[in-house]
Amino acid sequence: MRDYWLSKLFFDLQNPGVANEYRTDRGKLLDRYPLKPEVRAAVEADDVAALSRLVNPYLLRFYFLMAGMPEDDFLRRIRSRDASHG
Amino acid sequence: MAELVGVYAASHGPMIVRNWDKLTSAEKGSLDSAFVELGRRITAAKPDVLIVISPDHWVNFFMDNLPSICVGVGEVHDGPPEPWFKAFPHRKLAGHPALAEHIVRTALERDFEPSVSYKLALDHGFCIPLWKAKVNPLPALVPVVFNDIEPPFPSVKRCYAWGAMLAEAVASYPGKLRVGVLATGGLSHSIGEPDMGRIDEVFDRDCIRCFENGDAPALIDFLNQRLPTAGNGASEVRNWVAAHGAARGRGFELIDYAPIPNVYVGCGFASWKLG
Repeated sequence: MRDYWLSKLFFDLQNPGVANEYRTDRGKLLDRYPLKPEVRAAVEADDVAALSRLVNPYLLRFYFLMAGMPEDDFLRRIRSRDASHG
Repeated sequence: MAELVGVYAASHGPMIVRNWDKLTSAEKGSLDSAFVELGRRITAAKPDVLIVISPDHWVNFFMDNLPSICVGVGEVHDGPPEPWFKAFPHRKLAGHPALAEHIVRTALERDFEPSVSYKLALDHGFCIPLWKAKVNPLPALVPVVFNDIEPPFPSVKRCYAWGAMLAEAVASYPGKLRVGVLATGGLSHSIGEPDMGRIDEVFDRDCIRCFENGDAPALIDFLNQRLPTAGNGASEVRNWVAAHGAARGRGFELIDYAPIPNVYVGCGFASWKLG
């Protein structure tokens, strides 16, 4: 099941202006999206495994690239998903 | 009457651009020679218009409204918006509204219900093959977006029928035009999933064999069984199936296949002999 607002956040971040807002003040930008508390917490914790269950995988991959997570780190975290969450 | 002068398919993985400097020389050589041969075949066919079938990677459409299939009928399309693809030389690409609208009308007459867009941005899926194959000058483009990205997807069977309908639309177009079809994407790959980076070479080679055999029902059965385990990106083989349908299921010729780990994709290139 997709989380609409999380998906919308990731989709909107493809806009360079929105991405700049994110880099300047992530909290302020997140306030504009009615994310469920546990979803917002997963965003703030860069919890790739948790977020991967809620959003299209292409948007997930885009988001962490945009956020500056190194590819190796992303791959390690996404590959740990099934092991860590059963 | 318009004439279908060529049908082609090519992979479009973004790492072909983003990761180019990190590819081995063998990987670069393999991709370069395949794209050059693809470009040679397209150029030799002298198309006035290319119908390009590709997914939209979250550029034009979102979950508010996500068409299964959309035809771009605009006079002009925007170039790729991806910040890492500035090397693509075209910010605007000419469309062909008359052929595009004829395709939409033909589709509706044949009980398909495509979405229509007058304003599309053509992302790397459309533009990497055109750029790497050095198709220059570019023919006018009629983009056809297949949703291969976010389930539920159009059925493989329906994609084959779409391709056959495209060929019908070209044949019935009341104007003198040379038209090509280019399907992009695939073969196996996985993006943003736990198996990201896995290439299913067995799937890819079996899939290629099915295209070569030309038995459309067998190809459709194969894909219905095997696509779900070949990585989420393999869904783009639907576009190849549409190309196969446009070629009436005959004449598939592999230009090259190479699993390229640094691109994350089983890279395939093909054309169909028509007639």
